[in-house]
Amino acid sequence: MTWTSAQGPGGRRPLGRGIVHVAIVLSVAFGTLGAALGYWGVIRATDLSTAPDDPAVIAAARTVPRGRILDRDGKVLARNAKDANGEYYRVYANDAISHVVGYASRLYGRAGLERTYDAELAGLAGDPIADALRKFGATPYDPKTLKLSLSLDLQRAAVRALGSHKGAIVMLDPRSGEVLALASTPTYDASAIADPATSAKAFQALLDDKDQPLLPRATIGRYVPGSVFKIVTAIAGLGSGAVGPDTSYAEQPKAEKDGLLVDGFRVRDGHHPETGSKRLDFVDATEVSCNIWYALTGLRTGGANLVEYADRMGFDKPIPFDLPTAVSQLNDGSGSGPGGFADDVELANAAYGQAETFVTPLQMALVASTVADDGVLMTPHLVTSMTGKRSGTRTIGPSRMATVIDPSVASEIKAAMVQAVEGDLGRQFTSGAKIPGITTAGKSGTAELGGSGEPHSWFIGFAPAEAPTVAIAVIVEQGGRGGEVAAPIAGDLMARWLRSGS
Amino acid sequence: MSAGPASAAGRARRTELPGVLRHVRPRPRWTEARLLVFAAAALAVGSLTLGTTEDGRLRFAQPTQLLVYLLALALAHGAQVVAGRRTDQVLLPVVGMLGGISLLLMQRLPQDLVVQDWFGGEVGLATVQLVWLLLAVAIATTLAIVVRSDAWLRRYKYTWAAAGVGLLLLTFVLGTDVNGSRLTLEIGPLSGQPSELLKVILVVFLAGYLSENRSLLMEQDTRVGPFRVAPLPYLAPMVAMWAIALLIVVVQRDLGAALLFFAVFLALLYVATGRVSLVVIGLVLFVLGSMLMATLFEHVRTRIDIWIDPFADPLGAGYQVVQALHAFARGGLLGVGLGAGLPTVGGRLPIPEVHTDFPLAALGEELGVVGLMAILGLYLVVIERGLRIGAAAADDFRALLAVGLSLVIGIQAFIIAAGNLKVLPLTGVTLPFISYGGSSILVNAVVIGLLLALSDKGVEPPPPPTPPRRGRLRRRCA
Amino acid sequence: MDGALALLWLLRLLFLFLLYLFLYRVVRALLHDLRTATHEATAELGRLVVVASPAGEPVAGTALSLDAITSLGRDVNNSIVIDDPFASAEHAILTFRGRGWYLEDLESTNGTYVNGTRIEAVAPITFGDEIQIGQVRLRLERARR
Repeated sequence: MTWTSAQGPGGRRPLGRGIVHVAIVLSVAFGTLGAALGYWGVIRATDLSTAPDDPAVIAAARTVPRGRILDRDGKVLARNAKDANGEYYRVYANDAISHVVGYASRLYGRAGLERTYDAELAGLAGDPIADALRKFGATPYDPKTLKLSLSLDLQRAAVRALGSHKGAIVMLDPRSGEVLALASTPTYDASAIADPATSAKAFQALLDDKDQPLLPRATIGRYVPGSVFKIVTAIAGLGSGAVGPDTSYAEQPKAEKDGLLVDGFRVRDGHHPETGSKRLDFVDATEVSCNIWYALTGLRTGGANLVEYADRMGFDKPIPFDLPTAVSQLNDGSGSGPGGFADDVELANAAYGQAETFVTPLQMALVASTVADDGVLMTPHLVTSMTGKRSGTRTIGPSRMATVIDPSVASEIKAAMVQAVEGDLGRQFTSGAKIPGITTAGKSGTAELGGSGEPHSWFIGFAPAEAPTVAIAVIVEQGGRGGEVAAPIAGDLMARWLRSGS
Repeated sequence: MSAGPASAAGRARRTELPGVLRHVRPRPRWTEARLLVFAAAALAVGSLTLGTTEDGRLRFAQPTQLLVYLLALALAHGAQVVAGRRTDQVLLPVVGMLGGISLLLMQRLPQDLVVQDWFGGEVGLATVQLVWLLLAVAIATTLAIVVRSDAWLRRYKYTWAAAGVGLLLLTFVLGTDVNGSRLTLEIGPLSGQPSELLKVILVVFLAGYLSENRSLLMEQDTRVGPFRVAPLPYLAPMVAMWAIALLIVVVQRDLGAALLFFAVFLALLYVATGRVSLVVIGLVLFVLGSMLMATLFEHVRTRIDIWIDPFADPLGAGYQVVQALHAFARGGLLGVGLGAGLPTVGGRLPIPEVHTDFPLAALGEELGVVGLMAILGLYLVVIERGLRIGAAAADDFRALLAVGLSLVIGIQAFIIAAGNLKVLPLTGVTLPFISYGGSSILVNAVVIGLLLALSDKGVEPPPPPTPPRRGRLRRRCA
Repeated sequence: MDGALALLWLLRLLFLFLLYLFLYRVVRALLHDLRTATHEATAELGRLVVVASPAGEPVAGTALSLDAITSLGRDVNNSIVIDDPFASAEHAILTFRGRGWYLEDLESTNGTYVNGTRIEAVAPITFGDEIQIGQVRLRLERARR
């Protein structure tokens, strides 16, 4: 018989080598398991265990009273109530604050500040030391009470002022960035959503409502700005040095009648025959809201500069804020010219606030705030402090968002904006914005929408002009002319605020 | 030579099945005893933790059950001491620890997850698991002591293979559907999952086949493209057997078992032949097969989708995995403590099927990363023991058998742990000794028992290697 | 932090500690086992000393290490190659089983001899015995320690 060695000259040893290799592969495999364990149990531990769909968090939400939300004077904006089972649900002070405070509902999750600060209000997140100690405590949660810079009084007044119109009002303190009022209309009853008994019906009704009451227009609404955008052009033009306060254009008086020809397109202007054939300078042009002057300034400043200065104030990206914000834009970015404009026509039109320019009310309030605070833009914020039983109070102070222009440039623009409200001609456009006894600065805007609808009515401004403590932006959707609708609202609200002794 | 040595030679030539009581000589097993004491201490403290968490004051959770279990382990130890078997001393304590952890986990979970009607009374989760564990200890010890020869495994490999496939076909035809997969076979009052047993049968067959034909597989080649592969006539029946098992398993929708079979097959093939080319071809086949199955079967595609991003569908298909990951996150480094995890959602546990598919997630939440690393370490120890028994084995068959058996436990543990941790797609295999499930525990007990038997240093030496004749294969198949 | 909480923390940490203590003892047992096993593995089972080898292969006077199963013959695939014209390709197998050595003749042409006597099939041999395959004589000796 013939046979070959069943084992070969190596005998058992090749088998042994294979076994060692298998052992190594398995060790590496289990090693990756250990790494995965470390990843999920340590690295992702905090964000997963505090996520709103974690069962422990859901259980806690029902059994641990959520932190309250207070306004700047300590008035309660959001508190807890117990239902029939002894579990907690939220109750809100007033419809006016719904878009700011939001709601916390068992069915529909969270919105507004209730969502942004969910972890703090539920008491889950904190500093690492508190987190570590939390495990030792009998109650592992330390819900924080939030204090806002919002004034309930002012907020309610703002919502009342808008009345049955759709629109938004943003008021803030330009020195610190604290938001005093953030109103959007139509508003809605957040308590109805938070109450488990009425939750589903109320939410469905709101979704079905054509007027979109759930939309926070002040931060998410994007509108054509119209003439209020001229302040941005002014900032870019004077800030970059392309124009000065004395700049005037020879062709401007004639173009008032015939329209300005830009690359075959006529820029029209029809607001101010009172100026006659006078060549307007910066202050004059602002006072009468001259489209021609601004179109020429826009062309002279150039698209790149315009976009750059706008971006410093928060354009073309979400604004850092306690609530989600939409992005304001000067153009849709598809153009090949400098700054993304397609051509000079688009640039000229954008310079006075038409074309593909869309802004949020919050963004325009920041523009006003920039001028008011001598060219420095402070980051807008709502929450000023968070207080927990165990962790104490943590204050959130003002922070600088950008330095946009020099104080000297800002004072030039300020002067022009004062003139726009208080000047002889300006008064005719923006009557009602002036606060009696206080130097008021501002700019109205009438944003044409094309088609047959009424234009948006805009106003941005601040007071007192020498040392502003409040800046405002008002938009009334399709409200008509800016000077007639938005301006008086702004004046009244600023007056109310200044009277109350901030 | 006189008649004496000749008859002695003749006697020595036949491999006998000696009686159970021959060569009985009590021997102390101090290492095993010490390890069992440590295990008992840890389990006792675990029980104390569980009881105190549940009750608020210091007491043990279900002390009777724990005592019965520890007693069983002690008896197993004693039996091996009395029988004087020089088997491995580490395997029983490690497996005992895993079983103890399982018992604690089952005690901790709501008892109504499993309700059986025994002898007129209703028994819950922990009691049933305890019974399985006790049976497991008994089976493992019995095999360790009684099995002194491997002839019954070695000789009838094709018979075993046929029996295994037959059992599987029976399940497919007569089995009951549970959760969309037909895995369970019910005969009268007993129900079990034959695919568990098939794993062991497959390993026995592969060990026998590979050890017999090892040299041929190593040395003779056919050319497949640029590769030199083992001779096809010898590889063919093996691949056929594997393919049949796989096909049936895939049709039964048991992806985990298919993966396990394949991995064990490749590993044993590599160990036996040392040829990386075979492994490479195998991996290529695996990738192709997976892609094919993913396109053909929707449930496979769903599994892969929720593996890649379970958070895309956290309330639907990805719910189980997402909840498991949340459990690991809640556990953190040290865990929340036995009995303190798994916050209920509307009265129900957050992780469905936690006692079968996700015991690791529950343990992860309660024992933390630290505790779970220790448990994974215990599985590595079991694998290491099995591989060492293989490396020290007297001949190829025993070596491959030991390696295969330890891989069955080790790779299975890896697959389900990886599924829990999103390293691999989730499959339905059980975590050996920790998951609830009679079939799983009993079959793994058989594995441990065989490993112990193989590790016995005083066991009958293997028969001399019989030369593989060329016609041998044909004769067997005829 | 109240007493009940402290107690629970203590128990939890104690359990984890004991778990690791167990694991540590297990690993220690493994390493101990590994060390003794390596020691055993490097130790030989036995040796064959070449007493006489007229053909030259294997070289006279050398000691050949033995495995549990060692094949002898003229074919190069044997564990011990005996290149002698009177040796068959596969001549004999020397195995260590249980407690002793066994020599099996594989139906070789010229037979296998132990201490001068031709063996039939399998024969037990002990240390000191002399095996003859072809013209080559080898003596079974204990392993070198």
